Amino acid sequence: MSAVPSTWAHTRILLRKDLVAEWRTKERLSPMVFFVLLVLLVFNFGFELGGAALWEIGPGVLWTSFVFASLFGLQRTFAAEGANDCLDGLLAAPVERGALYLAKMLGNVLFLLGVELLTLPMFGLFFNLTPGLYLLPLFVVFLLGSASVASIGTLFAAMAGHSRLREFLLPLLVLPMLIPALISCVAATGVILEGGIPGRGTELWPAELTVHVGMLGLFAVVFTTLAWMLFDFVIEE
Amino acid sequence: MISLPMSRILSIVVTLAMLVAVCAVFLYAPTERQMGDVQRIFYFHVSAALSAATAYFLVFLGSVQYLRTRADRWDRFAKVSAELGIAFSAFVLFSGPLWARPIWGVFWRWEPRLTTMLITFTIYVAYLMVRSYGEPGERTQRFAAVVGIVAFVNVPLVHYSINMWAADQQLHPPKVELDPAMLYTKLICYFTFACLFTLLMRLRLQQERQAARLEALSRRTQQ
Amino acid sequence: MELRAESVHKRFGTAVALAGVDLTAAADTHLLLAGANGAGKTTLLRLFAGLTGPTEGRVMIGGQDPRRSTAQRWRLGLLSHQTLLYDDLTAAENLRFFGGLYGLGVETVSSALVAVDLADHAEAKVGGFSRGMKQRLALARATLHTPEVLLLDEPFTGLDRRSARTLSTRLLERTRQPGVSSVLVTHNVEEAAQFVNRVIILRGGRVVCDEPWSARDGALLQALCDHHQEVPR
Repeated sequence: MSAVPSTWAHTRILLRKDLVAEWRTKERLSPMVFFVLLVLLVFNFGFELGGAALWEIGPGVLWTSFVFASLFGLQRTFAAEGANDCLDGLLAAPVERGALYLAKMLGNVLFLLGVELLTLPMFGLFFNLTPGLYLLPLFVVFLLGSASVASIGTLFAAMAGHSRLREFLLPLLVLPMLIPALISCVAATGVILEGGIPGRGTELWPAELTVHVGMLGLFAVVFTTLAWMLFDFVIEE
Repeated sequence: MISLPMSRILSIVVTLAMLVAVCAVFLYAPTERQMGDVQRIFYFHVSAALSAATAYFLVFLGSVQYLRTRADRWDRFAKVSAELGIAFSAFVLFSGPLWARPIWGVFWRWEPRLTTMLITFTIYVAYLMVRSYGEPGERTQRFAAVVGIVAFVNVPLVHYSINMWAADQQLHPPKVELDPAMLYTKLICYFTFACLFTLLMRLRLQQERQAARLEALSRRTQQ
Repeated sequence: MELRAESVHKRFGTAVALAGVDLTAAADTHLLLAGANGAGKTTLLRLFAGLTGPTEGRVMIGGQDPRRSTAQRWRLGLLSHQTLLYDDLTAAENLRFFGGLYGLGVETVSSALVAVDLADHAEAKVGGFSRGMKQRLALARATLHTPEVLLLDEPFTGLDRRSARTLSTRLLERTRQPGVSSVLVTHNVEEAAQFVNRVIILRGGRVVCDEPWSARDGALLQALCDHHQEVPR
């Protein structure tokens, strides 16, 4: 009679629950998108964007806004489980702790990816970006970049509620640890944006991209695996 | 307790070794032809960097062991190692610019190894913050251990990516044939720092052990 | 299913919640965990639910650590004074979600809603429910998979008399099934008398009283608890 669903089935159910709740409340996506818009605005006054410097500072501006917005989103990872002690309900259910991590991590990837795709047009507008097929590899960079942020971010978000540092804890841990991924994101985005320079060869996948994307993939895989293994120790009371 | 005389012997060794090392650095080692006297910083700079790297590995070791055994002594081991790692890193980050000013013309450059050291330093400061701002107890120890493990796995990635990012900024002196006197001085300094590291580690561990015992005692008397 | 605690200690930082609890409860045992605030009763219940682990000692459900074994956790049902429900989801969505985690089909959800008289509110968000309705839904959630062990952490807190009576009637239906055992943590000892057949009183993280109980007299049970909380052992 006791047919415990598989870890993957649990992950899907948990993820679907979070997506339905987010769809209904939009507690995370809307503020994050708006936040990115505000950061782009602030950067504009800091750096006078829109000039020729697009491929030099553009990728940095883009990823800085994403990372700061994602910190806000990550803070809310376990917010829904905190109300009404829902986390107790999940932990007492026959759910592997790893499934909870995977669901929350995948949820964060989807939220971040959503923010990135929704704000890219704004970025393009402010920076006078020429739209074109050369932007397609950005999707891969967004996906792996989001996975990198979410891999360690989800793990540390589970700790934040129990520290006196509260909302400080997450940036303090995530920002320095994320630097390898951030470097690759910025570098890869730079390579892609250079494709927009008029008269540049229009390869869809410039060769330099591979090393950066590879680094990102490595980061995401290593830390998702590690965090998945360590999550039991974090979530337990 | 046999640990006390051992620490005392070690302190004597460290004192003597440090004297020898300072003499070797300033009197015995020849002046480097291109950089001049400033190069003498290198002996302590590199020794401290090695000690810091060792310390970060020990944080990792202590963290893994803590999660396996849940024994408080491994937690203290990781904590003390992180403190030492930060102290030695701070020395590296301090002595590096001192050397860089006359050689590179500026105190700071975003040079791969220096940058890696700085990032690693910030990660372990964050590690100590997780400890000191957590509610005292088993949960914070667990969190710290998790951070200690993730941090250490991150170090090679930081190093690799920074190298990729700033390959053209690589300004650390490449490996050169050292004069034998320079080599001996370097080895003396390594030895001295290894002894200093071990001594500090022992003393801090003793302190922490006693603090834990004191707390356990005061808890028992309160009951 | 057998519940067992073997010399269980639990500390939170420097605070001692449990200081050596030994306890074995066979199937069909209905335990009352009583004691003052901070006596460790909720902690003991949470250990049985696998929500936390002991600092020392072992906690086992059906011979296995509930934290390690999803199969054993499958057989637990947890009902608390918190609803453990998502306010932004509807009643049916909440039950479908938890049903999914237990590998149950959609039919179970609809019959569970009928059983707690919430079929008409299936598509309404739980956030808008009254306290009594929420707690009925919480009961449906906890018993969706017909658990063999019911862990009840102050389930009547915040309910008016009528809702409390409805809840206790429905709870009794569940706990009276053969092979089911339960652990009830409550301050309100009087209403526990009809549920339990064994009384455990904790003080300072230790068991100070462990006795069978067959009377239905709530005042008598209250007197027993008061006695053990006040008189030094």
